[in-house]
Amino acid sequence: ILDSGRKYYLQFTTIDYKSGENAGSCLATVLYQKKKPPPVVNIKCTETKDQKKIEEEDNRLYQKLRHQTKPIIASNIPDIYGNIEPALEPVWALAVAGSSYIMWEKSTENLGYSMAQVKSARQWIRKDDFIEFDFTVLLHEIPTQEIISCHMRLTWRPGHPLKVKYFCASENQGLEDGSGVESGSATGILPEKGAKF
Amino acid sequence: DQVLHVVPDTYQQVQHLQHLCSTLLLDLWKPLLPEDIWAGEDVHVRVPAPLVQEAKDSLDQHMISYKVLIPDVQELVEQSMPNERSSNRQIPEGYVYTQYHTMEEIYQWMTEIQKSNSELVTRHYLGKTAENRSMYYLQISQPSDKTKKIIWMDCGIHAREWISPAFCQWFVKEILQNYKSDPRIKRFLENLDLYVLPVLNIDGYIYSWEKERLWRKNRSPHMNGTCYGTDLNRNFNSSWGSVGVSYNCSSEIFCGSGPESEPETRAVAQFIERKKSDILCYLTIHSYGQYILTPYGSTTNPPSNSKELMDVGEKAAAALMEKYGTSYQVGSTSLILYSNSGSSRDWAHTIGIPFSYTFELRDKGTHGFVLPPAQIQPTCEETM
Repeated sequence: ILDSGRKYYLQFTTIDYKSGENAGSCLATVLYQKKKPPPVVNIKCTETKDQKKIEEEDNRLYQKLRHQTKPIIASNIPDIYGNIEPALEPVWALAVAGSSYIMWEKSTENLGYSMAQVKSARQWIRKDDFIEFDFTVLLHEIPTQEIISCHMRLTWRPGHPLKVKYFCASENQGLEDGSGVESGSATGILPEKGAKF
Repeated sequence: DQVLHVVPDTYQQVQHLQHLCSTLLLDLWKPLLPEDIWAGEDVHVRVPAPLVQEAKDSLDQHMISYKVLIPDVQELVEQSMPNERSSNRQIPEGYVYTQYHTMEEIYQWMTEIQKSNSELVTRHYLGKTAENRSMYYLQISQPSDKTKKIIWMDCGIHAREWISPAFCQWFVKEILQNYKSDPRIKRFLENLDLYVLPVLNIDGYIYSWEKERLWRKNRSPHMNGTCYGTDLNRNFNSSWGSVGVSYNCSSEIFCGSGPESEPETRAVAQFIERKKSDILCYLTIHSYGQYILTPYGSTTNPPSNSKELMDVGEKAAAALMEKYGTSYQVGSTSLILYSNSGSSRDWAHTIGIPFSYTFELRDKGTHGFVLPPAQIQPTCEETM
């Protein structure tokens, strides 16, 4: 699209992040505007899992995290060997979902991301229904190969989209002084509604 | 840290013990709370290492009897976690190929593997790393009167890609365990020699174990020791420094001060250069992404034997997929991944080695560099 950017038409299948099972297929358009993130995405997906099952799983995840007597505080998920403690899997899953929002906002036509590791996670127990976590996540940036450290605060409740606020710093440069705190509320932008695992 | 077994005899001693626990913030294992300490009853308390002497002195002063129940808590912890690192050394008979190993263990493994397979395996010195460590490769060669062509494989050029050295070790084990029984491997070794370098970037690998798990480059110092590391896979003499690199040491894709500026690069390059007329295939193993990459990274112009390269690559990907359904993409780096220059694979091809491939092993980003050990076996089996 002359002068305003490049539009890609995509058709792809999705798999469950954890189990690897087929989770549905999607049709999407992605518009990269002159190298300025975030890309504008239009997407429509058909899920193989039925809505009820997704809700059940969301609820199970929610209950596990909600009924902590002590707030979860953890670091290095996975650990250096690649192991994730079963009790911490829901925490990892939340981090993945939240990070995907950060990665979407940062992506350009030439820069892509994966979540490499959760460096730290801290739960805040709230009086209302929401789950709240502070994360430090490490993102792997392609093709620069850099590891970007991002601080992310995430709130969620089943049936509601994830709310993510974040601030990223490049590992090599340390925290950039006041060059803009990037924060955003993820209200209804993500194709994923809540956590689907 | 030590765990002490204490038995206070009098009420005064109980009080003192309670006082000690709260002032030194000791970790009571039995009973759980200081207020439950009674005269004549067993107390088990964990004392952090720096406070051990002080605690013992205090107990002595008040004539409170104690015994050391656990002299070293950390040691016990390590022993009780069979999946984690233990301080026990592994020998090849008991060598666990489904676990990640430290460089020290890998050095030992190389020595042992040669000893227990001396009719086939010889270990050779290749050169020194930036931090002066020795680099060795293993030569697997069936004695015969004909000169054989060589297949070279190196792993661990990027420190954080732990599945890569794990694969090299697995590969060697598989060949040695099955060369007598598997007709394909037998035929293989009748006509070819295998040269395997299990860890190319030794310094970086050690650094990723001890300091920073996601380290990528080597550990050569720059700018008066204020910045470390060159990306060894941008340091080879193939369109060096032209694209997909940084000239800044602080970048993960810093290409070094010049082509082959790094001792590790030179060690490998000099050897391969010398043997190039006999080398049929150059393989370099990375992670992650699940790709079989062909030259070039620096240009989209296809190499002279592009069709053959693709053919063989596609066959390999198909065979790989048969095992567990894992899909690998095949193609030139510049077309299916991103542009980069100075890669070892490109260089190998430009000096005349016809089959040159980069393997990017599992996964596609879910775990990325921190691939769980449970995936070592399936990854290696399918790649084999």
